[in-house]
Formats: sequence, C-alpha cells, structure tokens
Amino acid sequence: MPEAAPLPLDPRAIRLDAAASGREDAITQCGRVLLEVGAVEPPYIDSMLERERSISTYVGEGVAIPHGTAEGKDVVRHDAICVLRFPGGVDWDGERVEVCVGIAAKGDGHVRLLSELAQILLDPDRARRLREATEADAVLRLLQPAEEEADS
Amino acid sequence: MATIDASTIKKIVVACDAGMGSSVMLASTVRKQLKSHGVEVVHTPVNSIPADADVVLTHAGLADRARSSAPGVPVVPFRVFIGDPAVAKVVEAVKKGGTFDA
Repeated sequence: MPEAAPLPLDPRAIRLDAAASGREDAITQCGRVLLEVGAVEPPYIDSMLERERSISTYVGEGVAIPHGTAEGKDVVRHDAICVLRFPGGVDWDGERVEVCVGIAAKGDGHVRLLSELAQILLDPDRARRLREATEADAVLRLLQPAEEEADS
Repeated sequence: MATIDASTIKKIVVACDAGMGSSVMLASTVRKQLKSHGVEVVHTPVNSIPADADVVLTHAGLADRARSSAPGVPVVPFRVFIGDPAVAKVVEAVKKGGTFDA
C-alpha cells in the first residue's frame, strides 16, 4: 500500500452523463475511469468483466457495483471507487441500472464509502437522489460518511 | 439444513469472491444492525473464511465454495445484497434471541 493513498472517491472519477450499449460496455467504462485515475492496470478491466459473469454485482435501487476478482487485486495500485451515472439506463441481466459504483481495492480504503452506499440503498429517497444527481458535488455529499464513526 | 441457536453466534463472516465489493456492503449493514449486540461482523474472500466463524453469509452462487472452505460452519445463502430475507432472519434471531436455519 502506498503511504498516502489518494481519496477513494476522486472527483475526476465521477461521470454523470455516461451512456452504455449494455452491461459489458458500462463495466468497461468503469474500468477505464479507474485506469485513468491511476488506480488499476489495464488487465483489471477483464477481471471486472469476469467477476460480473460469475455473479451479477447488481445491489438494488438501480445500482451495480462492478469490481474485479480476487486475482484482479494483483493489478490494483490503490483503493479507489468511481461513480458513473447512466441516465438512459443499462440492462443488467433484466434489472435496470442507472448508477455504477466501480470498485478497485486491495485494502480497506474504500470500506467507509461502501458502508455509506449501503445506507443510501436502504433509504429510497437518498437512493433516488443518487440516481438523479447531476453534479459531482451532490454525489460526493451523498457518499460522504455522515459522521466520523470508527467502524470498519 | 440445521437449526442454529442465535445465542451461540459471536462472529458472523460475510464472504464473497474477492471480499472487495458486495461482502463489504453487506457486512457494514449487518454490523450496524447488530452494533450493541456483541457480535463481530467481518468480510472476507470466500476462500479464506476464518476458522472461528460461527456462521457464514454468502451469495447463493458461492455457497458450495463457502461450505468447502469452512467445513462444519453453517452457511446462510442469500440472493440480494440489500434486504435479503435470509439475512434478515439471522439478524432478527441474533437481536431478539431465537433460531435460524442454515
């Protein structure tokens, strides 16, 4: 692990007007963003596609969390997440996905953000705000852990 | 299928393939729900479930791998990551005392 890992959610890794032709395209786009922010090496994208073929990463409320396999961790450079919003929707094996939270992790740097995402998914109103977000700031605010909790 | 007395549960392991995404989210919600109940909730890859796990929650598609990775540990398979009835049963049983099937 690098000593000063960048923030897991880099504002540059938020894309709110993406469009994808299907699930694999959407996952590939997530992988490319993780690549652009320097979180992964190129083979990680294939690892994400492989992971998705084994079990869908759809988690409810129009949200999927594509990420790599256990082997894919070898090509993760630092923990990171990206948020891609697909206002036109993506067919996700029968589910409609409007937000992808792509994950690259070899440690636990992303755990707080994912915990917050889980809380959002349990709250239909906040989940709707995530799906309808048109500004990166809104996404950052939603995913910002509400209080400093020492849980992980 | 065995019936488990929830009062024996001290450590819940949420397992997924890489221990990177879905298990992290589910573990965090279960941990929050069981805060104050003295139960440890951890997330791990399905191939490295710790031996002291009292119960394993894992996606139905990984249940067989979880059983061979942690022989003798009860496995509760679920299908949805948020709000799965099988997971809710375990949480309720731990909170209120009672049993669940695994």
